[in-house]
Order: sequence, then C-alpha cells, then structure tokens
Amino acid sequence: MSGALRFNAMHFMPYVHLPDNHKDYKSLWVSFPNKYFDPDKGHALYNRYLSEMVLADKLGFDALVVNEHHNTVYSLMATPNLIAAALVPQTKNARICVWGTPPNFMLPNRLAEEYAILDVMSKGRLEIALPLGTGMEYWSNPVNPATAREKFKESLKIMLQAWTEDGPTTHYGTFYTYRFLNPWPRPYQKPHPPCYIVGTGSPETIEIAAELGFGYASVFVTQQRAKELNDTLRQRAAHYGHQLRPDQFPLLTFVYVAETEERARQEYIVHLQRFFEDYARTTPQYLAPPGYLSVDQLKQRAAMADKMHGGFDFDAISKSFFIAVGTPDKVANQLGEWAQWMKTSHINCVMHVADMPHWKTVKNLTLMAEEVIPRLRAREQPALRAAAE
Amino acid sequence: MSNFTRETYTVDGVKTVVQAIGRGEPLVFFHGGGTAEGYDFAEAWADRFRVIIPYHPGFGESGDDPTFTDMHDYVMHYLELFDVLKLDRFNLVGLSFGGYLAAKFASEHGHRVKKLGLIAPAGMIDPLNPMLDLLAVPGEQVPGLLVSNIEVLLKRLPEKPDLDFMGDRYREATTLARLWWERPGDPKFMRYLHRVKMPTMIVWGDEDKIIPVGQAETWRKFIPNADIKIYKGAGHLVHLERSESVEALGRFLG
Repeated sequence: MSGALRFNAMHFMPYVHLPDNHKDYKSLWVSFPNKYFDPDKGHALYNRYLSEMVLADKLGFDALVVNEHHNTVYSLMATPNLIAAALVPQTKNARICVWGTPPNFMLPNRLAEEYAILDVMSKGRLEIALPLGTGMEYWSNPVNPATAREKFKESLKIMLQAWTEDGPTTHYGTFYTYRFLNPWPRPYQKPHPPCYIVGTGSPETIEIAAELGFGYASVFVTQQRAKELNDTLRQRAAHYGHQLRPDQFPLLTFVYVAETEERARQEYIVHLQRFFEDYARTTPQYLAPPGYLSVDQLKQRAAMADKMHGGFDFDAISKSFFIAVGTPDKVANQLGEWAQWMKTSHINCVMHVADMPHWKTVKNLTLMAEEVIPRLRAREQPALRAAAE
Repeated sequence: MSNFTRETYTVDGVKTVVQAIGRGEPLVFFHGGGTAEGYDFAEAWADRFRVIIPYHPGFGESGDDPTFTDMHDYVMHYLELFDVLKLDRFNLVGLSFGGYLAAKFASEHGHRVKKLGLIAPAGMIDPLNPMLDLLAVPGEQVPGLLVSNIEVLLKRLPEKPDLDFMGDRYREATTLARLWWERPGDPKFMRYLHRVKMPTMIVWGDEDKIIPVGQAETWRKFIPNADIKIYKGAGHLVHLERSESVEALGRFLG
C-alpha cells in the first residue's frame, strides 16, 4: 500500500472576486479589508468548490486535501474541519485530508475531538497535517509567534496523548493544564489517523516530524530544497529509530492537463500567474512576525527573497517548483520522474488555482483522473515497489 | 561608542554587556526597545556622573534569555547585575521601553533609586492617548515614526539596511514579542506606580508619534510630584532631537 502511487486533489478554495483596485494592496493577507467579501458570491463559491471536490472523489482521486488560512482571499477555509465535515457524507472512497488546522489556534483537546469526529464519521478516511501555521496566521490570531514552536510541540503531545492513552489522563505543561484529558470520541483509526507535519523547511519543524516518525510535506520551497528536506528528514527520523515510508512524503505539485501543450499553457498560465502575483501576495513583515523564525532563518529567507525578486516567469517558476502543465503524456512523465527523484509514492496535486473557472477545473480533474493517473499506474515504478517491500 | 568602556559579565547565565563613561555618582541608563541609534548623547553626563549603560538581555550586544516573558524578569536581572556591579543606590534614567522598566524597578525597589528620569516612557495603558503598537508596524516605517526630524536619525543608521541590521532588529522585536505580543500593557504596573516617591523628571517631545505626549499628564496622576518637561517639535527620541532635554536631566539628577 505504501509503495503504490497515490494521487490527492488539493483545493485552496480562494475568494476570486477581487476588487479592481486590489493591486493597491501590498498584501491580500492579514490586513486586506474584509469589506470586499460578498456573502452571495461566497455562497456560490463554496457550493462550486465542494462540487469539485466531490467530483474528484467520483473520478477516483485517492484523497481530497483542504487546509486552513485566515484573513485572506487565498483560501476561504478558515476552519477546514467544517469543509471536511461537509465532504464526508458527499464522498465515498477518497481519504479526507485536513492539512490542516495549526494546533496553536485551537485548544488541543478540542482539535483532537474534531479530528476524531471526522475520523469516526468517515469510518477512518481522515488524514491530518499539523502545521505551525504561516507567519500571516500569527498576525491574524491572538497567539505569540515568539513561543509558537514551543506551544506547537506541547499541543502535539496533548493531542497524541488524548488519542493513544486511555483517559482520563492529566497534562501539566507550560501552556496548558488538563486535569481530565478524556475526549470523546476517540479516532476510528488506531492508534490515530495518519499525521504529517507541513512546513516551509525550518529545521526545527523537520526535527519534530523526525522525532514523532510523522510524514513531512514541504510547501513553497524549490525542487532542490524539497529534495534536501526529504533527505534530511529520512536521516533525522532514522536517528530516532523511525523508518519512514515513501507515502509519508507528500509531494506538492501544481497540475494542469489539456489536449495539447499549447492549449494547456494558454488555459492555465494566466491563473498560475495570478496565484503567485495576487493570491499569494503578502509582505516580508507578514511572512515573519517577530520570533516566528530564528534570526538565521530570517536572514537566509531575506537573502533568498532578494534573489527571487522579479516578475512572473512561467518557465523559470516551473523549473523551481513542481509544476506540471501539458498533455497527459507530458504530465504523467513529469510526475513519474519527480516521484522517483523525491523517493515518494504520494503525489499531492493542486488542481485549481486562483480564478480558474469551473469548466477548467472539471476538465483538469477529469483529464488527470482518466488520462494521467492510469498512465502512471500502468508503469508503477519498480524502484518504489522495491522500496516499499 | 569609542569613548565608552565596555565590560562583559555573565548574569544568571546571560551574557551582559555594560558600557560606561565618566566619573562621579552612578547614573544607570536603560535603553529603549531598539538599540540601533547609539548612546553618544550620554557623554553630556560624563563630567558629573559615572554613566552606566547595560544592554538588556535580548538586545544589542547582550545575550538572549528566551525564558524572559515579562517585565519582572528584567527587574530580577537588574537586581543581579547591580549586585555584580556593587551598585547600591544610583540615579536611574530610562527611555521608552527602558522608561517602563526604570519606573517598574523604582516602584518595587524605591530605596535603591536616588532620582528617576523618564524619557517618553512606555508602560502606561492610556486609552485616550494609546501607544502605537510598534510590533505591528513594518520595519521600514519605524525610523520615520521615532523622530520629527528624520535627519537626526538617518545619520545614525546604515544607508541601506543589510541582512545583519535586519537580523538585529528582528531579534530585538522577538525579545519584545515574548513580553508584549499577547498583552501589550500590564495593568499591574500602574497598580503599583504610586510607590515611585523619589524625585522624578519626565521629558517628552510634543510630536511623539509612538507614545503621545498626552500620556505625560497621565503619568502625573500616578507620580504627582514629577517634574514634566515638554520639548516642542521633538519626537519620541527627544533626547537625540533636543540636547537641552539631556542637559535638563543632568541638572535635575545632579
């Protein structure tokens, strides 16, 4: 199972009705005024996006991925467990991945409870990612970024204790005191749903995944960096006695499939450009609230941001990140190569970006499911099979 | 700071750098929430005082102690440092964050403080004259908010902030976030401020964009005998914009 290729459909569920003057705002996160949110348009978007995820399940994607962001058009899923709860009864086979709620923004017992409810309701289809949360989320939530990592570790400990030890238990920590940690329900999957740590490559976060034997998904780092992070995690996990499986390394990809290469580029690039230039647009200050990064990390990232400064260049960006755009053959080849190079069997595909319309999303999901995934399944990499065995 | 001597101590495990200049009665200066602007202004006190300027933990050349999560940790740190320096009773001047710390120290250990000087002190919860939440301000906007005449500050800062400068400021903001992120004000500070009974002078610039000068009157309510001097046309770093304010503090303390 762990060696078999697996394909997720990931959706950010953005708010696409940007005002004409949105370029006046340096950031569409944190402080972008919420007067621009129109609930009627929001209603239509939620219905549409949920239907796209339901379609992905029907088409045979192995998993559906939702995640959490605050104060932004980038994602309308401020509380992704609500989205997941809406998906559970509408879907049959796909695993539901909440990747995820930063534990720092919830009481840990309550997050453990919500995940357990989803896991029981879905009869064990839930998967969880445990992010620290982007810097932007710390400007939007009343949680101290300077103690975020310490609090995060304590939250994880409480959640795992809640799931794996018979209650009632106690917890006396730095941030939380539990006199009766005894949450009902407990998860369907034992000892708990599969867990991943997700992040942008801070060594501190990798270390947490290594120690717990969790998977790790890097996001918004370059191809080379993503590979280094996977290799580092494998080594560090081994140090703690954990042998990580290929499926524990979800590979974040952006995918668009069309009949021809030219058509794919023509239909997709404009949306990808808006994704990077507008939906992901934020400021260095919002990316790094005080204490969120170590001083060394801050300097490294500032140096990198200087280098990457410049306009959107699709060819450059496709070489930097895992972006597969083209015919089914081309996309299948690229995904296959990347999976092998990254030693993973787990391909997480962002199937919708920015203001991509419904018809393109449906087309992309359909071609991916009917043309790309079967090609890859037909030539499951022997290397991965060997690794799994 | 070439005219200053520089000593390094280890105080309860934290590297603590102390700069000093001059001869006379001890005068301890607590710096503000950033250390980029320098302390050469204090040379004006060196003819009458032994001026002692420690870097707080988490700032400037001193080391970090991530366990410092409230102002009281700094009070404890200074009790220990003053033991090391064999300072029993001294004049205490504080700027902004350091003014808050100086007033807190004085309210808890009044017998140690001969006279107290406060330069645009932080710490007051004053809903009618709220302090600007500097943690929420983009770094590039901070210099313009610190002074009325930007030239005064520009000559003290690097022309183009390099990575080290950015890193230093980020580290100091991190130190402040540990103290202030969740609750920028502590009502308990004001609760005990009436215990400040030693002679006190408060100086302020009337164009302070960080802590409005209106807070000076609020301080007077807590410390009725304080001598308050307002300098026209000066901003938050009034001591850099008006050397008279430094001289006035020197006369008051001497």
